[in-house]
Amino acid sequence: MNGALKYGLLFIGLLLLQVLILNNILFLGFINPYLYIYFILILPSSVNKDITLLLGFCLGLMVDIFCGSIGCHAFATTLLAYLKPHFQKVFGPREDYETVTPSFRTFGMKEFLQYTIILVFIHQLAYFFAEAFTFTGFFQTLLKAICCAIFTILFIYIIEKLKYKR
Amino acid sequence: MRSLIRFLLKYKTLFFFLFLEILSLVMIVNYNQFQRVHFLSSSNIVVGSLYNLTSKVSNYLSLSSVNQALVEENAELKFQNEKLNFQLDRMRYDTSYVKRNDFAEDKHFIFRTARVVHSFTNMKNNYLTIDKGECDGIQKGMGVINEKGVVGIVCDVSCHFSVVIPILNSRARINAKIAGKSNVGTVLWTGHDVRYAKLKEVPQYIPVELGDTVKSSANTAVFPEDVMIGTITEIERLNNDFYLIDVKLSVDFSNIKYVDVIEFRHKDELEQLERKEDSK
Repeated sequence: MNGALKYGLLFIGLLLLQVLILNNILFLGFINPYLYIYFILILPSSVNKDITLLLGFCLGLMVDIFCGSIGCHAFATTLLAYLKPHFQKVFGPREDYETVTPSFRTFGMKEFLQYTIILVFIHQLAYFFAEAFTFTGFFQTLLKAICCAIFTILFIYIIEKLKYKR
Repeated sequence: MRSLIRFLLKYKTLFFFLFLEILSLVMIVNYNQFQRVHFLSSSNIVVGSLYNLTSKVSNYLSLSSVNQALVEENAELKFQNEKLNFQLDRMRYDTSYVKRNDFAEDKHFIFRTARVVHSFTNMKNNYLTIDKGECDGIQKGMGVINEKGVVGIVCDVSCHFSVVIPILNSRARINAKIAGKSNVGTVLWTGHDVRYAKLKEVPQYIPVELGDTVKSSANTAVFPEDVMIGTITEIERLNNDFYLIDVKLSVDFSNIKYVDVIEFRHKDELEQLERKEDSK
């Protein structure tokens, strides 16, 4: 119960942080970190796959409602939530797979970063192509996705660093 | 039958995943329908009031630039006042002048000032949320301007908030004309640069020059005539006898705090009359 409460607060906290502050950064006019997906990335593997999917969809839809981009974030985040357990199997530790919570400590820094980079890139590509809903201006959309992905990964890296600084 | 159920259970996560993805895609494709669903747009009360709160804080921080804009608008108004005084003086001597410049025309429009509680400029389909709604007399389809020029059109209203489709939305189409010419074209946005839009459907037999101003046309009774939209920065001649014109927008969408919503008082009357004429 304690764990559920903690993740519930994290869900709301990251959502508000995203829509009220991070969405207004607009570095160079269009680059925002999409930090809210950090919630999906660090869900423990003990969480049922269907529940992970549902959480991903709800989180995306909430961000969509605030951004007015109905469906785009939901699409990308559902994809992320579906792929997450598979990549966790690849990059996570071999032993006690059933209970691991992704982080620098449990995965190891290199593996966690690889895991983050791949998933964030997939999410950003899915989001920006869902938003554009066309392949015209392909490179412009690609550039946007790459810039935002780098920014997002940077934010996740800093947060993970701070977590173990103490 | 049993093996079918076993099959479905084995891949239930995959099916659930596909179901959610298809649901999202349906929402993206039917964007316009879902925009009308209040609880999915930012005119819903929770999202609206949350944005309202944060904009109050950020408004306080940007008081100096708002002040600057007010000073500029003040100067503009003083200038107009001078001009009108001059016209008024002239009318005292020239009694036919009143007939030529229909004096009562301005009363067709009602202006309501609203505060922008949230705005997006980084997406392909941007929009603004403002803090006046149906209860304040705002309705779908009304035009929105600020002191610099045309902002957009109201697309959704709740009691206390409205959502505005600005020019910076790939779904926005705004009737426009080049100052001094009567032909009407359409201003639309291609989704890349927030400072520029395109003007289409202006035929090539009209002479157009760089630096000409693009203004709103009164054709659709959404905006008053001659509200500034922008200036021409590039002209391209297409094969189909029309121009493709780049317009630098006069409104700075990245920094927009207050807008005026325009109500055209006799819109229904006008539409009814035109419909009657069409059906004849």
